[in-house]
Amino acid sequence: MAVNWLRKLASHKRAPVFPVLGKQGDKALRYLALSPEIELVDSPRHASVLLIAGEVPADRLEPLRRVHDQLPDPFTTLWFRNEPWPHLENVDRIDDLTDLPAALTKAHRELMTGQRDSGCRILSDRPPNPWKGEGDFGQGGEGMMGGVPYGRPMAMNMQEDISDGLTLDSLTFRLGPFFMAFPPGMAAEVTLQGDLVQSWETQLEPYPQRLDAVFFNARKHPVPIAEIELARARHHLQRLYHALHLAGLEALSLSSLRLAHGLSTSSTLDGLRRRLVRSGFFHLAAVGGGLLNTEQARQFGGPAARAAGLADDLRSHDAGYRRLGFSPVCQNGGGVSARWKQILDEVEQSLMLARQAERDEVYTNDVDCIETPRGPWDEQPPEDASAILDEILPGLEWGDALATIASLDIAAVADRGGGTQSPGESRAVQGGSGNVVK
Amino acid sequence: MELLTLLIVLLLSLGAGLLVQWLPMRHQPIATYPQRAPFLGGGTPDSHAWSRYHVRYYPMTLLLIAFEMEMMFMYPWAVVFVEKGMMAVMEMGMFLAILSVGIVYAWREGVFKWQ
Repeated sequence: MAVNWLRKLASHKRAPVFPVLGKQGDKALRYLALSPEIELVDSPRHASVLLIAGEVPADRLEPLRRVHDQLPDPFTTLWFRNEPWPHLENVDRIDDLTDLPAALTKAHRELMTGQRDSGCRILSDRPPNPWKGEGDFGQGGEGMMGGVPYGRPMAMNMQEDISDGLTLDSLTFRLGPFFMAFPPGMAAEVTLQGDLVQSWETQLEPYPQRLDAVFFNARKHPVPIAEIELARARHHLQRLYHALHLAGLEALSLSSLRLAHGLSTSSTLDGLRRRLVRSGFFHLAAVGGGLLNTEQARQFGGPAARAAGLADDLRSHDAGYRRLGFSPVCQNGGGVSARWKQILDEVEQSLMLARQAERDEVYTNDVDCIETPRGPWDEQPPEDASAILDEILPGLEWGDALATIASLDIAAVADRGGGTQSPGESRAVQGGSGNVVK
Repeated sequence: MELLTLLIVLLLSLGAGLLVQWLPMRHQPIATYPQRAPFLGGGTPDSHAWSRYHVRYYPMTLLLIAFEMEMMFMYPWAVVFVEKGMMAVMEMGMFLAILSVGIVYAWREGVFKWQ
């Protein structure tokens, strides 16, 4: 393969990687976000390496094939903690998180310099709907609306308008499960009328999330409150990273992630909060909507409920927390903006509790019911809440809908702990190591 | 002669444009059908994305044009105003009255409410 000077130049830039997230793949995503040699892109069209991070369930393999074939030539794939498909040639599997950035960079360089051949296509090169020669003149179909060009019908005005009387064409499509603005694994069938969500049906629930192991330990025996509160604050900051990335505030999102990775009892939120206010994040048009009523807020539980004014928090009943003078913080709004203010307040509160608990060596008392960052865990861990999106998203503009999804922690909590991690990986994920985490 | 020169310049610029596009693409294989499909995170569309869409800045554009046209005619009007006298005032009054209908319509459409 001839290698031109453009490719030589491209081989020296950061490796553009499109991550396909399988189960527990989000840890790899956050680790790579802080790697200076990796550029995470939101569409396969901008990537040269497809990273399949974590185990992809069988019902998401067909979408994975579609995404795989959407990378432009030359491209390659790299599988992280997942067995590559046997018919793919010259693809690597990586199991150690700390080796991942170097492997991705190497794959990109080899691809650009011609040392590695481009990956092969999986799907057949046929139009999704047959159209050639169809119709009286071979134009691709028939009908009063000009046929079905390229085998696919034109958008039509099929449903009643729900907004302002301006009836527009309804556009129906299925989005996900590898869409960056959704929680990993979630897919939905969406009908848009212009930029307005006309109907929303969640088809695939997001993967259950594995919380920090300290929450599972807290269900077995008393644990230091300092440790559990730091894990809670870290969880919230990692969610904030995804929301800020979606809002296009890239530098701020990385600041949030860096704070999460290096979090300790001496950390403060003041700098990040100040920058968030100055960036205008709370004044974005998309952050103004996403209101939950009391019943919906109660179904979500946790910070989403407290942002709607419900002072439900299992920590209030724990003797250890009562010793620290804990009382839940709440907001009045119940919308996207209120939820992010609630998250920031809870992070600040967790850091304060962690400092006090570390000084006084306070442990949790209750083991049968604990408050996770996702919500209360008494008899059962918090369950998936993606079905509520079907009720709250119709009627919102597309940007408001995505901001609403990002502000809600909807994935269920898996009933097993954070999985096995090598010592190096644990350092990298929790506090950073070497040149990768700054 | 000038037309011939113009034609040659046109052909040269067109050729250069096509060459710049062709050079990097000459070793690229043609994109397959799955590659050309819209990216929906692994999902599929039911229809083409070509649809009637609510252009939300449309009323604002309407208002801009209304005011812009007004100013565009008022400059030359100011030059002939002294010469034409009262007749010019009446003509401009009629023009502004018609234009203000557009502004009233835009008002009704909620253009002054920022969304």
